[in-house]
Amino acid sequence: MLNMNNISRIYRTDTIQTHALRDFSLAVAPGEFVAVTGPSGSGKSTFLNVAGLLDNFDQGEYQLDGVSVKGLKDDELSRLRNEKIGFIFQNYNLIPDYSIFDNVDMPLRYRGFNGAERKRRVEQALEKVGLASRLNYLPSQLSGGQQQRVAIARALAGEPKILLADEPTGNLDSLMARQVMELLHKLNEEGTTIIMVTHDPDQAREVKRNVQVIDGQISDFSIYAPLQPQSSAGEKQELSHA
Amino acid sequence: MLSYYLKLALISFKRAPSLYFLVILTLSIGVGLLSANLALVNSMGSDPIPDKSDRVFHVSMNTWPDDQPGAEPMHILRYRDARKITESGIPEHSAVFYASGVYARDAESKSLTRYDSAVRATTPGFFPLTQAPFAYGSAFKRSSGMEVVIGDDLNQKIFAGANSVGKTLELNGELLTIVGVLKPWLLRPLFYHATEGRAFNATDDIYVPLETSIDLGWPIHARSSTTEENGSVGNSRDKNVYYLQAWVELPVKNNLQAFQDYLDHYSQTLKDAGEHPLAIRNEIDDVNSWLLKLKVVDQKVLAFTLASVLFLCVCVFNASSLLLSRFHAGKFEVGLRRAVGASNRHMLMQGLMESVLVGLIAGVLALALSWLFLKFSAKFLPDLSNIAVLEPKILLSGVLLALVTAIASALYPLYRASRYTISAELK
Repeated sequence: MLNMNNISRIYRTDTIQTHALRDFSLAVAPGEFVAVTGPSGSGKSTFLNVAGLLDNFDQGEYQLDGVSVKGLKDDELSRLRNEKIGFIFQNYNLIPDYSIFDNVDMPLRYRGFNGAERKRRVEQALEKVGLASRLNYLPSQLSGGQQQRVAIARALAGEPKILLADEPTGNLDSLMARQVMELLHKLNEEGTTIIMVTHDPDQAREVKRNVQVIDGQISDFSIYAPLQPQSSAGEKQELSHA
Repeated sequence: MLSYYLKLALISFKRAPSLYFLVILTLSIGVGLLSANLALVNSMGSDPIPDKSDRVFHVSMNTWPDDQPGAEPMHILRYRDARKITESGIPEHSAVFYASGVYARDAESKSLTRYDSAVRATTPGFFPLTQAPFAYGSAFKRSSGMEVVIGDDLNQKIFAGANSVGKTLELNGELLTIVGVLKPWLLRPLFYHATEGRAFNATDDIYVPLETSIDLGWPIHARSSTTEENGSVGNSRDKNVYYLQAWVELPVKNNLQAFQDYLDHYSQTLKDAGEHPLAIRNEIDDVNSWLLKLKVVDQKVLAFTLASVLFLCVCVFNASSLLLSRFHAGKFEVGLRRAVGASNRHMLMQGLMESVLVGLIAGVLALALSWLFLKFSAKFLPDLSNIAVLEPKILLSGVLLALVTAIASALYPLYRASRYTISAELK
C-alpha cells in the first residue's frame, strides 16, 4: 500500500539545513493499522505529510498503492490525494461556516461525482460515524468528538485506500477519544489501512503495529508492547521489514 | 464545477462583505472614470460617415492674392474658386457652402414667434455627399430658388414634426418653400464644418440654395477673410472674399489625381495671370485625415484619458492588495482544499470565478458611475453635451475592462496562493 525507501526531507533556511527525515524507509501493507510515535520534532508529522503528498521529499523513492509519486505533476498528485488518501487532523479542520454535509462533500466535489452520487456517499459516510441526523448542522453545533467524527466521515466519503491520522484524539477528552479510537479500529477491521501519528502510548499499544521515529529515522519497532495477545515481537519484526 | 465555484464565491463575499465592497468600489471608480473618458474620445474620434469617409474630400487652396510666405492653404475659398470646383465635372458630388443664421417662423401661422436657426447655404450636392437622411420630400435641385430643406429640430419646433413639405417659412422677412425635411441627424464629429471649434455642433436647422443666400445677403456665421473694403456676402461673387468651404466625393483613386491636377492647373493659371504670388499648394484630405489635421479629439481629453489609465492601474494595485490580504486570511481553507484533492487548477478556477463575479458587479457599477461622470461633465462643460454619450460598444468595453481589471487584481494573490505549502497551511 505504502512503500518508502530512503526518503529524505531537508528544510533549508539561509544558514541552516534541518533533516526532518533521513533515509526513512517504511512499508505498510493493505489493511494494516500502524501507530507512529516519537518525541516532538522527531519527524513523524513530516513523515505523515510526505506520505499524504502534502509535502515534497528531497531524495528516495515513494510508492503509494503501486504508483511512484516522484516527479508527478500537481494535477496527478491532487488526484492521488483525492482518490487514495483520507486525512484526519488533530484539530478536525472543518470549515466553520459550512454545514456538516458541505464539509463532508468537499473532497467529492473534486472527484467529479454528480449530485446524487455525492449525496449518497456523504450520507453513507455520516451514517458510518453515527452522525447521519446532523447533515445540516454547523460544526460549532457539535461536540469535539462529533466534529472529529465528521472529519473522519469526510476522509471516508471518497472511499480512500488509506487513512492518515495526525493525533486524531489530541484535542479530545478521554471519553470522546475512546469513541474515535473505537471508530478507527472498526474501520480498520472493515479493511481500511490506517497510519496514525500519536503521542499516547496507550493508543499506540492498541494497534497491531508500532513505529517509532527519532531524528527523522525509524529507530525502534517495539517500544510499546501491543495489547493484542497474538502480536509477538517476532511478528512485529517481520512487519517492519515488509 | 462552475456552480460550485459560484457558490464558493458567494460564500466568500458573505464572509468579508466590507473588503469585497471596497474592492468592487475601487475597481468601479477606476473603470468608470476611464470609460467616461473613452466615451468622449470615442465620440470625438469616431468616423462620422464610415460608408464613404475615404471617398469624400475637403479642399484647401492657396489663392490668396497677397504674398504670405509659408502660409498654409486656406480651408475657405473665394466664390469663383469654389465655382471652379463645382464646374470641374470630376467629382461625383460636390458641396460648396457657408454657415449663416436667420430667424424662422411659419409664414402661415398667426404666431409671431421666430426661432433663431442655423443655416447652411449650399449647393445641392451637399445632400448626397453627406448622406443627409430625408424624412419627407427631397433636396432642392438647383443652387438658386426660394426653396429650403429643414432639419428635424426646427420641424419639431414649428410644425410639431408633421410633414411640412410645401409649407412656407418666413426667414428674415423672405418667404421660402420647404421642399424637404430631414430625419433626426447626428453627425459626430460634424465633419463638413469641423473648423472653428464646431466639430461637435448639431447639424443645421435650415439648408438653403447657395445663390439664394448670397442674393439675399444672409451674413456669414463663420470664419471669413477678405482683402476688400466691402467684403459682404451680397457682392462676394467677384471679390476676394474667402468664406466658402468645399467638399467633393471622388469615387475612384484616379479621380483624386485628376482632381489634384485640375486644382493645380487652375492655381497655376491664376499665378500666371498675376493674381497670386504663392507656390502652388492645393490640398485634398479625406474625412478622417481632415479631422485628424484639425485635431478634433481634444488633447486635454486625451491627456485626461491617459491619467485615467494610470489611475486605473493604481486602483488595480489597491484591489490586488486587498485581495492579497483576503487570500492570506483564507490560507487554511486553501490548504484544506488542496489536501482533500483540489489541484492548483481547481483553486485557480475558484479564484477566477470570484474575480469574474467581482468584475461583473464592478462593471455594472462602473457604467453607472460613467454615466454620472458624463452627466456632470456635460453640466459643467456644455460643449461636451453632444459627445458625452455612452454608446453600446463603450458599455460593453466598460464591462470587459472591469472583468479584465478584476482578474488582473486577483492574479498575484492567486499566484501567491498556488505557492503555499499545503502542510504549512494546515498547521
